[in-house]
Amino acid sequence: MGPDSAPGPAVPWRKVLWERQPFPDNYVDQRFLEELRRNEGIRQYRYWAVVKEAGFVGQQLSCVAIFITLWLYMEQGLLSPVTLLWTSLVCSLLGYGLHQLLSSKVESCSEPRTHLADLQSAAIFLSFTFGFSPVLKTLTESVSTDTVYAMSAVMLLAHLVSFPYAQPSPPGILSLNAALFASVCLASRLPGALHTFAMLSCALLVFALWPCLLQRLRENTPSQFTGVCVGVCIAGVGGLGSQSPGGAVLLALALGSVTLLCPLLLVRLQRHKDNIHGPWDEAEIHEDLSHFLH
Amino acid sequence: MVLKIFFPQCCNRADSGLLVGRWISGHDSAVVLAVIHYPFIPGQVKQYVQQMQAQSGVELSVLGSWSLPKEGQEGMESFLRDLSTIFPQERWLQIRRQMGKTGFTCEVLSRDQNAVAAQRRVKKQKKEEEEDGDAEEKEEDEEKVIFVHYEQRKVMLSQLHPIDSGDAKTDPPSELRQVFQTVALSQPLFFLDKYDDGPLKSTHWQSEGREASIIVELLKQASVPLCLLLSWMLSVWTWICSIRIFNFYPLRFLSSKLSTCVQLSYRTEHMKTLSSPKPAAGHTQFMRKANMLVSVLVDVALGVLLMSWLYRDDHITMLANTLVPAADHVAKELDQLLQWLMGAPAGLKMNRALDQVLGRFFLYHIHLWISYIHLMSPFIEGILWYGGLSACLGLSFALSLLSDMVALFTFHIYCFYVYGARLYCLKIYGLSSLWRLFRGKKWNVLRQRVDSCSYDLDQLFIGTLLFTVLLFLLPTTALYYLVFTLLRLVVVLFQGVLHLSVDFINSFPLFAVGLRVCRSYRLAEGVKFRVLCDEPGVALHLLMEINPLKVSTVVQTYRTPTYSCYPRDSWLALVKKLFVGELIYPWRHKTTKAD
Repeated sequence: MGPDSAPGPAVPWRKVLWERQPFPDNYVDQRFLEELRRNEGIRQYRYWAVVKEAGFVGQQLSCVAIFITLWLYMEQGLLSPVTLLWTSLVCSLLGYGLHQLLSSKVESCSEPRTHLADLQSAAIFLSFTFGFSPVLKTLTESVSTDTVYAMSAVMLLAHLVSFPYAQPSPPGILSLNAALFASVCLASRLPGALHTFAMLSCALLVFALWPCLLQRLRENTPSQFTGVCVGVCIAGVGGLGSQSPGGAVLLALALGSVTLLCPLLLVRLQRHKDNIHGPWDEAEIHEDLSHFLH
Repeated sequence: MVLKIFFPQCCNRADSGLLVGRWISGHDSAVVLAVIHYPFIPGQVKQYVQQMQAQSGVELSVLGSWSLPKEGQEGMESFLRDLSTIFPQERWLQIRRQMGKTGFTCEVLSRDQNAVAAQRRVKKQKKEEEEDGDAEEKEEDEEKVIFVHYEQRKVMLSQLHPIDSGDAKTDPPSELRQVFQTVALSQPLFFLDKYDDGPLKSTHWQSEGREASIIVELLKQASVPLCLLLSWMLSVWTWICSIRIFNFYPLRFLSSKLSTCVQLSYRTEHMKTLSSPKPAAGHTQFMRKANMLVSVLVDVALGVLLMSWLYRDDHITMLANTLVPAADHVAKELDQLLQWLMGAPAGLKMNRALDQVLGRFFLYHIHLWISYIHLMSPFIEGILWYGGLSACLGLSFALSLLSDMVALFTFHIYCFYVYGARLYCLKIYGLSSLWRLFRGKKWNVLRQRVDSCSYDLDQLFIGTLLFTVLLFLLPTTALYYLVFTLLRLVVVLFQGVLHLSVDFINSFPLFAVGLRVCRSYRLAEGVKFRVLCDEPGVALHLLMEINPLKVSTVVQTYRTPTYSCYPRDSWLALVKKLFVGELIYPWRHKTTKAD
């Protein structure tokens, strides 16, 4: 018995199972699957919007590249730690100023951090890192270079994968910890304790403080944000190119594929999307349950 | 209905007379204890039975008559049959035996069925004529009798296991237990031997004459003043021990840790039990006292043997002269071990700075220890000489002293172990907590589970730095911990062996095992029966032999409870503790429970 067979008995078939009907249990009539809906509520991506969002990912990749470039310079002795420290200090002050400027535009309803609290945090960071840098310097002495490089690479990859691209301001815990672990591993390979200290301060700047600024930029000035991303990408490629051209080429390729190729793929593949919805889906609660909690 | 009669083997050839014994209530059986011979006066027999009942507490009565006809005693049978009217009983047994035949015949007369006996005999003849007898009738009228022969002396001395604890139990004791108890309690009945001038003559296991040994009697007489002396000495010793000055905290703590003091207090308890002038009440008490006495004597004998070897041929000086160089040698070995650890041990990569710090710290410790040993070296011989005197108190004391001395001489290894373990434990704890921070989680103490947590930036930063530091320093600490734990385990193992042997000396029931080997009938697990005579027409005769207890059960039942030391943790728990870095004290001491 199927939908194409001869018409059944006079009693119409109803889609219920609690009543004995003269039809077999798996009988369906011509209204089969009329409640099926396809591709309900999917978003239509527009290419350039996706490219703009993907730029953020590329930016983060370039950040990591810039960090590695700085480390390469320090290791080869081309960059002195004092220079790096002063540059970091200046950059952090500039960034802090920009951050405060941008936040005065937004009415912050959440509790504002006072300047004193910020100063306290900075003091804790610096003193701790300075105190621990001799210990950190000898940490990986007995570990072979290959192991150190491998560990750092894995940790930086983990950082990139687990980075909270949607909301970078409260930093993702795993991504931050992985980046710090990688930077400690790399910094312990440098020739002096001051080098280690400088490298760690730079790492803190790049991985912990820079995303907060970016978040502010993204919220308040989206157009400038795009410009900043592009600038960082170019700086990354350029910096890496000065050390190793092969690396620069690789980075450029990676950036190109992430920023330009992947959005294209996403948009192109979107038309092959074929989701089906129907009354068999899991129920989604759309009410606001917060008034049950109080 | 089967009637079981327990008949002593010594009465198999007794002259005709009356059977004295006990009916076992609740079971269809009777225990025959003695045979009182003809000629007797029934009134005197009654008086005697009542007297014995009062003395022993057993419900004695005249069970029936026994006839073994000899020449010139033809009228015995009818005389004995008429006696059933004089002694009023529920049932009257008439047991007959012919000289030269093995089987007995028995007739059971009920009080109101004396006349029925004649009828029964007639019925019996009738049945022999008929081919098929009515089974029911047969069982109703004829009572089957089984004779169980037992050796009276052995059953009297034997103790059935498991021992009845004496408090009122819900089910009454079994038939066998009642038989054994009856024979054991009827001792006053067995004092009348054939040389007595009284009016009655009886046959039992002691009727040939009472046995006694002079040595045992002398010991019994001498034991009372000895016990008094011992208890006085013990009270003086207890008074000394309870002087307030010894109750200060450090001394008390020390004395609870030193195994010599523990052994001393334990032996004092034993001597207190031994020196009570009251005789032992019950089999268990007796065995415990005997075991304690034998173990103390054997201990002292072995100790004196050790002493005689020690104080001969200048052995003490030899020992003292090898002790200090041995300690020196151990220290040098430890030194070399630390130097090896400070280099690159087994090709492992250690963190150089931490390595140097730890290595130098331990080296300095060893240096202190060696100076201490050298300071003590002139006194070692004296200490050994006086320590050896303690062996006169027993071998167990000498062993405890040895264990204490080993503990004192390896104190530095114990210290190293504690340092290494604490450092390692701290590191593991910190690492696990920081690993949770690395993943953004936290331990919820209230709910005893891992929860997610949003940390501040500075917490994250410092946490990750510390995590990296601890992780890279882990191999170094772990290696030091491993080395010192192994050393400590070796020492602990040796001490454990010493403690186990002391415990063995203390608790092994030598007396009970000796009894099981020499006089195995005294510790009975049960009985076994052997068929003596199974002829038709005559009652079944069985011989009851005592089944002695297995040696392992003897040891288990009669072990003196001690402060036995046994491993505190199972293997799995031990390995887990080692892995986490908890301090391990593998042997646990149980405190003696006062019984």
